[in-house]
Amino acid sequence: MTALRRLWRHHRTALVAFALAAGLTLFFAIRFTVFTIYWADPAHRDRAPEGWMTPGYVARSWDIPRDALQTALGLPPPQGHPPTLRQIARDRGQDLPDFLDALTRTLEDLKDRQ
Amino acid sequence: MIDALLALVPVWGPWAVGLVTFLSCLALPVPASLVMLSAGGFAAVGDLSPLAVVAAAFLGAALGDHAGYALGRLGGPPFMTRLRGRPRRAALVDRAVAVLHARGGIAVFLSRWMFSPLGPWVNLAGGATGFPWRRFVAPQLAGEMVWVALYVGLGWAFAGNLQAASDLAGSALGFLAAGAMTIGLGLWLRALLRQGRQRRRGERA
Repeated sequence: MTALRRLWRHHRTALVAFALAAGLTLFFAIRFTVFTIYWADPAHRDRAPEGWMTPGYVARSWDIPRDALQTALGLPPPQGHPPTLRQIARDRGQDLPDFLDALTRTLEDLKDRQ
Repeated sequence: MIDALLALVPVWGPWAVGLVTFLSCLALPVPASLVMLSAGGFAAVGDLSPLAVVAAAFLGAALGDHAGYALGRLGGPPFMTRLRGRPRRAALVDRAVAVLHARGGIAVFLSRWMFSPLGPWVNLAGGATGFPWRRFVAPQLAGEMVWVALYVGLGWAFAGNLQAASDLAGSALGFLAAGAMTIGLGLWLRALLRQGRQRRRGERA
């Protein structure tokens, strides 16, 4: 009787748990590999701006100098804690989606100019 | 909901980070890993002080763990009965207690970061079942240091791309945890086989 068959007959729960854990390990290894390949592509790195982000965060995501973005948006240098995009839109009396659309176009322009 | 919480990170800064790690150590459903990853990212682009972020995350976690441990100690055995009230949670709690008393420090250490869903239950159960504080505190602090360094560090490295940081951190930690479980179960299977062999040899003799 092979070891595997013996385990299956006498310690089925332990063997099944081992197989499940091994499967899960493989799953995470594949997932990690897939994500690494996906995020290694520069085209996937420019994240669409969202309300919780700050200008500095967006600039880093799009690989644009922060100052260039600040100037393009006509923003004063931040005082105290940095404003989020939602706060900037509110201060300007703009709807957040409209502001984010305009910001995305600005980012694309800046990127093209580089 | 998650966006609203993330929006508090640049505004409240370290306070938001510390509050979230504190609450997560008490088993409250807050996205502590996402908040630490984003705070690491904000720190990398100069929006927040990296030192303040790390210190706040670590202090929040250390205080949260101790609050959980103290709650467990105050509640004692009656508290354990209530804690095991729901079947799904009872399984987690039983698991936490068994591992804690068998392995002690290493269980506390690993349940901070590698098996972090177990962490809050290890705290409560440790307090309630009289696990000594002096055996709890050092692995607890060391484990939280790893947890904070891992997430804030990855957030820093992947600044500007929270999605990538979260995908990679989740997969890497999942791989480590599942891999450790596989090795543990494999060692157990080997021991079971060896026991069986010895028993058969004994019967033949």
